[in-house]
Amino acid sequence: MKALGTLLRTEATVFRRDAMSMTFTFLFPILFILIFGAIMGNTGTGEGSRLGLVVLSGAERAALDAILAESALTVREMANPDELEAAVTANDVDFGAIWDGTALVFAYDVRRTQDNFTFEELARGLASRLDLAIQGRTSLLGVEVETEGGEPEADWLTLVIPGIVAFSVLSAGLFAVAGHLTSMKQRKLLDRLIVTPMRPCALLGAIVGVRLVVVVVSTFLTLGIATLVFGIAYDVSWPHYVAFVITATLGSIGLGAIIALVVRQPSSASSLANVLSMLMMFGSGIYFPVEVMPRFLQAASHAMPLRHMADAARYAVGVMDMSEARFWAICGSLLAGGLVLLPLLARYIVRADRR
Amino acid sequence: MTAILAVARTYVVTACRERETLFWFLVFPLLLLTLLALIFGNIGESGAMTYDIAVVNLDTAPGAAAAAGVVAALGQLSVAEGESRPLFRLHTAAADSDPGTFLAAELDALRIGRRAAVVEIPQGLSASIAAAAHGSVAAELAVRVHKSGGRTSSDMAASIVEDIVAQVDHSLLVRMGLYDEARALRVERLDLGANAETFSYVDFVVPGIAIMGLFVSGLFGVPGTILFGRERKVLRAYWVTPLDVPHYFAGFALGHLAICTIQLVCVWALGRFAFGAHVALFRPLPLLVLLLASVTFLAFGFLVASVARTANGGMALANIVNMPMMFLGGLFYPLGQLPSALRAIMMVNPVTYLGDALRGVTGTAAASFPLGVSLGVAAAWIVVCALVASWRLTWDVGR
Repeated sequence: MKALGTLLRTEATVFRRDAMSMTFTFLFPILFILIFGAIMGNTGTGEGSRLGLVVLSGAERAALDAILAESALTVREMANPDELEAAVTANDVDFGAIWDGTALVFAYDVRRTQDNFTFEELARGLASRLDLAIQGRTSLLGVEVETEGGEPEADWLTLVIPGIVAFSVLSAGLFAVAGHLTSMKQRKLLDRLIVTPMRPCALLGAIVGVRLVVVVVSTFLTLGIATLVFGIAYDVSWPHYVAFVITATLGSIGLGAIIALVVRQPSSASSLANVLSMLMMFGSGIYFPVEVMPRFLQAASHAMPLRHMADAARYAVGVMDMSEARFWAICGSLLAGGLVLLPLLARYIVRADRR
Repeated sequence: MTAILAVARTYVVTACRERETLFWFLVFPLLLLTLLALIFGNIGESGAMTYDIAVVNLDTAPGAAAAAGVVAALGQLSVAEGESRPLFRLHTAAADSDPGTFLAAELDALRIGRRAAVVEIPQGLSASIAAAAHGSVAAELAVRVHKSGGRTSSDMAASIVEDIVAQVDHSLLVRMGLYDEARALRVERLDLGANAETFSYVDFVVPGIAIMGLFVSGLFGVPGTILFGRERKVLRAYWVTPLDVPHYFAGFALGHLAICTIQLVCVWALGRFAFGAHVALFRPLPLLVLLLASVTFLAFGFLVASVARTANGGMALANIVNMPMMFLGGLFYPLGQLPSALRAIMMVNPVTYLGDALRGVTGTAAASFPLGVSLGVAAAWIVVCALVASWRLTWDVGR
């Protein structure tokens, strides 16, 4: 027990002094949220999209004004089409509209591939209402959209932050073994520890314990900053959240153990962990929805633990609904991965004879 | 000259032997280009997605034309055309099942992600529409589209269903003589920022990835080599030979440029042959911008190396500045409205100007800044970085 306490203190000090680990665990998620929150906060909802409007002289505008007044668009009126074109290409407005009384011309910046789908939808709705208004009609067949479960108004950032939380957990767990433990092995620190009465499981326990605390603090910081800076209110289910963080950390350490078992050099283990985490980050729907990916990437994403971790994190913070059975299946799989792989790690890695 | 070439060769060989360096210099830019091209290159194209949609028609009275129209329109999209998969996979209630029970079950399936949307056609919808048509007022009942919160696929499916219902509405108005096609609103499209006929996202992103590669090489390669070389006393071993700092620096810069060239060729080749990009990187003006970018980021790497005290500190600093500079440089998408603090970073960021200039001179997209301004900002960064590095950088421990 005393040995475990000493090891816990040592591991905590090592982590605190490791500038790289501190950067990736704490600073990376915060920077990401601050930058991307500012750049792409409302992406996907269209809410507050900025429309540049030019109404040419002599055009009847009452119907258009009434429709725009009811919309969620922020309208900025401009003097002429040239000014509008300059504003669209400089991103001073998101898209533009020129109304001459008979035709409605929508102007888009074609370089905004990721956003134009939303702007085109908004433009289609606007044109459709104006078309009917000109003929003195309203639509007969209306649509009411209702949201079942999850967060009804989830924008891109609201969905991404739980994904970042899941990625932080994965990174912390993966590099705890793949980077840290293999480095200890190479620097012969393990050899020196093993000749003491220390049991391998005490060392692994210390690593797991420190990483768990780090992950909890890191994920709280991430969610806290999202709430404070961007006003995102997550409806967190704490029992689910705690279960997710503990099992995901153990499961990620288990994944790191596989890397450490396969690759013995610390630099190679870190590289492989880097490559795998990068692949999973892009392929698991953390930044871009899986649904917009090509079919083979969508299929591949099912094999990535991070995709399921991100889904579980979204469920735990109330952004997305899923069945309780699926949530516990994800947590159970992660826990099982950790429990099976950690003893293997103790058996094969924390040994003096392995080089 | 021999010494300079030897140092350059050592730089290239070392970079190629180190797996982590190789990953960041070569694999990461190629991987990112592949992913971005695959993800955004075909956005909105048909056949990319099949949505599971449940249709619950509670308006089954004889002559319920509107309800039948919606069901038929959704049904048309559940039929495969050619080799592409259908847009919808429709789930409807069995003839002998209770519609209410079916709806409840489908809503449960929607909540947990097994359905992308549930379309509920309420009882009496068609009668309500007929009454509204005669009275020229809005119908009391509407088609209910249920979507699942927090799922992009559900948002997309609901949006498509809304479009389909709007089309059915249009055809109903025409059929009832309430809409005059001759007076229909003319809607046109104006594409700006690039030649819409030839523009593709891959063309936009290849110059961005090329600049990103040069940036990452300078930012991580220089502090990595100089600071670790200094800490492990590799540099000290050089200084006991006749090699002096200017010759070492010349060799280092030459090796760095060689690595950048390899990287550029690989990015261009992947873009060209795997994704059909048409970006003329290897012409005089683009090459000038690329050379300036390589030198700017080389100088920036020396700036980072000169302000860090240890190798680990240098790499941590590089990681900290990497993300804001890369993502606030508009390399992967044009930047929209930014808060003033981030806008300030964007406006002093050399990545912003070099990416913009490269797109401008390759003709892939309209440049936001005049070429002279972009080149001037990059040159100013080189001067500032060189001054700070020559003042602060120490080439040996304890020297």
